[in-house]
Amino acid sequence: MLHDQQPLATDQQPPAPNLSLMTARLYDPLLKVYRNYTARVFLQAIITIWVVMTLTFVLVRLMPGNPVDVLVEQILTAEGISYQEAYDRIAASFNIDKDATPLDQYLQWLGDLLRLDLGTSITSPGTKVIDEIARFLPWTVFAVGTGLLISFVLGIFAGMPMAYYRGSKLDHILSFFSSFSTGVPNYIWGLLIIIGPGISWRWFDIGALRGTYDVGLTPGVNAEFILSALEHAALPVFTYIIAILGTWMLSMKSSTTGVLNEDYVNVAEARGLKERTVISSYVGRNAALPLFTQLTISIGFVLSSGVVVEEIFVYWGIGHLLFQSITVRDYTTLQGVVLLLTAVIVFSNLFADLTYGLLDPRVRVSGEK
Amino acid sequence: MFRRILLLSALLCALGMLAFAPVQAQGDTLSVAWPYQVPPTGHFNTFASGGIVLGQYQDLHEPPLAVLMWATGEYAGMVAEEFGWDADGNYVIKIAEGNSWSDGSPMTADDAMATFNIFRLRGDAVWANMTGIEKVDDSTVKFVMSAPSSLTERIILTTNLRPASVFGDIADRAAMMSPDDDGWNGLLQELTEFRPESPVSGGPYTILPDTITEARLMLELNPGGFAGDIQNFDMVQMWNGETEVVTPLVANAELHYITHGIPPTTEEDFANRGIDIVRSGMNNGPGLYVNHAVYPLNLVEVRQAIAYAIDRVQNGFVSLGESGVAVEFMTGMSDGLSEAWLGDDMLDALNTYDHDMMKAEELLMSVGFSRDDSGNWVDDNGDALAFELTFPQEFADWSAAAENATAQLNDFGFDITARGVQFQQHPQDIYASNFEMAIRNWGLGDPIPGRSYLQAYNRYNGQGELAGEGGGAGMNFDNNISFSGGMINVFDVSNASSQGTDASAQAELVSQLAISYNELLPAIPLWERYTNNALNRNFISVPDSSDSVFANFGGGADNWMTYLILTGVTAPADM
Repeated sequence: MLHDQQPLATDQQPPAPNLSLMTARLYDPLLKVYRNYTARVFLQAIITIWVVMTLTFVLVRLMPGNPVDVLVEQILTAEGISYQEAYDRIAASFNIDKDATPLDQYLQWLGDLLRLDLGTSITSPGTKVIDEIARFLPWTVFAVGTGLLISFVLGIFAGMPMAYYRGSKLDHILSFFSSFSTGVPNYIWGLLIIIGPGISWRWFDIGALRGTYDVGLTPGVNAEFILSALEHAALPVFTYIIAILGTWMLSMKSSTTGVLNEDYVNVAEARGLKERTVISSYVGRNAALPLFTQLTISIGFVLSSGVVVEEIFVYWGIGHLLFQSITVRDYTTLQGVVLLLTAVIVFSNLFADLTYGLLDPRVRVSGEK
Repeated sequence: MFRRILLLSALLCALGMLAFAPVQAQGDTLSVAWPYQVPPTGHFNTFASGGIVLGQYQDLHEPPLAVLMWATGEYAGMVAEEFGWDADGNYVIKIAEGNSWSDGSPMTADDAMATFNIFRLRGDAVWANMTGIEKVDDSTVKFVMSAPSSLTERIILTTNLRPASVFGDIADRAAMMSPDDDGWNGLLQELTEFRPESPVSGGPYTILPDTITEARLMLELNPGGFAGDIQNFDMVQMWNGETEVVTPLVANAELHYITHGIPPTTEEDFANRGIDIVRSGMNNGPGLYVNHAVYPLNLVEVRQAIAYAIDRVQNGFVSLGESGVAVEFMTGMSDGLSEAWLGDDMLDALNTYDHDMMKAEELLMSVGFSRDDSGNWVDDNGDALAFELTFPQEFADWSAAAENATAQLNDFGFDITARGVQFQQHPQDIYASNFEMAIRNWGLGDPIPGRSYLQAYNRYNGQGELAGEGGGAGMNFDNNISFSGGMINVFDVSNASSQGTDASAQAELVSQLAISYNELLPAIPLWERYTNNALNRNFISVPDSSDSVFANFGGGADNWMTYLILTGVTAPADM
């Protein structure tokens, strides 16, 4: 057919480009990347973060009010000045570029981000967002991370006997506690701790335990500071433990119940192995395996789970920075914190995906077959 | 495994034991509270956003030039030992000698020059009536006025002085430039990004940078600073946080005085614990605003009927307990300002719109309205008096005021639907005229009466453009009004009433504003908010609540507590 015919080559004409070859050269490497499971999920993670960040950029600007309005409202009645005075003062102290369009701001922010620059705070001009994050992040990682790990370990040890002796009084008591612990949000636990032992029974001085360390100490690697940091973290950590513990206990109970019915457990018992050996080596390890995946994913939510608890105990971490930046509409700080939270959640999921095969050799990812 | 469990238990026990720390000794420490941000967000540039200013407690580290005594209307000199108008209509202040900043530099006229030149760089309102500032000698400064103004006088005298040793360089460069110069915006940016390494105090106390945590910071005595030699406390402990954060500390007697607004139930709990509640008028409160472009809310008879139909005493009490005090004179300014500026005869002549359903009914019938078969009102077109009343849903007291006003008006035969709006969106809706009825604030926490009208005649009536998002005509009230005293532009008169220095001329203008507002009710004031400062007299000694100093506004400039500290009156209770 005519349309299938190739044009005649002449000496004057350059050789026709081999489009299929060019296409193959261009796309083959991309195809290889795409076929590589690790590279593919990594690329997906980057795209996810970009989409979330772009949405965040748009959404925060659609929120009612802006940084100037928020502070104007705050000082209007507090200082008894007119709206005009308040507006002039705040607008000047922010030194905002009023001519920059949202698109300009987006492109500027994206460009800065490629240089790993999160910009400067709007409400505290000159203060780098990365410095703010560096100031608050360690405390959240420490407190929530400690709470998460302790509750995880306790949950595993408490969940196993619940499954072993299911239907017993011990199971009923621990199951009730687990359900109660899971059902009550962490901030309610925090309030109960403040109101009960703190105010009503005066077991401790709630004021002295506020903050991340004692007044007058300089952060550093020394016993006084470390002890002070531990002391101040005690209540938030205890709150996180109580609030998360039930989830791990119930998960471990469920997982252990499943493992107890496995043939290899019956065989181990039939071989006359000691009960302790069966519990730890045959049941415990296999039952805990799914929980490790859950733990890895939970790490991603560590940073954002303590917003209210941090406010209750005045234990300021990244949750406080997030809360504060939303309250005063500090767009750049808010974007920086959301970027951090998104990246941690996305990459912890990625980490769980990639490492599960290492923990459990029975599992193989399809892309790696 | 057992060993692991043992180790884990030991760790938990250690954490638990550490938590039960002993109560810290208080000593001669004044324990108060104000929210602030910790470094790096918080910093020591008190001219820039994010600065650790500490609200009214700024007076303790950056002292004011003077404090207005609200009971007498007279200024009490602080850092400024002499002040007043000269023969040319300029304002002159003389800085008291013998005080020094915590960095060792003496407190002089240079500090005032630096402070006000930075204000000029920022575009502060104090420069609206000023053309320049001159250093007369080491302690005297002259503010050159384009027009004398009692408002400008107030702004000057309530200014907190800053050290020239810190801000002098930027201030001097600002003084050499004009806003049209190329480097002006760059200098402004330099100011906002300027971060002094440490705080420099000229007041009786100075912030200790090493003590700043998110929980609290400490201020130590600054003997060389203003009033540093007459203090009764060695330290000031400044707790950080808003109402919900500081409330447990007050209940636990760790915090002895707060200016935070607290709900009536908390008040009751504090009272049961022996904590005193101190109330001062704030010259402002919630009012019922109407959109004058919506018929028939533009009819004065309808607004007057609404005023009669709402029991303001009930509305105030259910909203804020004893701190919600019903407005009596309905002049657009507080009752305290009305009594101070209007003579007895004029006060007697005002309509106080006492709760009276019959009068409300007569007013509506006078414009042809009637009740339908179910007893609800319909206007002269036969349309029901059905409106939406919006309010900022996060403000508990305003929400209660809205719900109560709605219930009362519906009982009277209106058909009002109350709707809460996110608190930052709500003012934008008002600016944009996107409302029918709304709860917003009337008045201003300021003793100059003309400024009380800025909300109704300016902010919520066309100044929305300034707010950026919701530019619009606001409540659509025509500021050119006709009343029993003639025709005036109320916005112009409210501005003019704070100009000049002739009190009798100002009073004449204020009376025009008051009477016209009372007759027309462009917005309906519901109640005045009084402070409910929690004061634990077991720890702090201040005069009895009957003292005239408590007439001073409890927050912002002229705060009675900081005045009593600066004058050496506030002391530990056991002294």
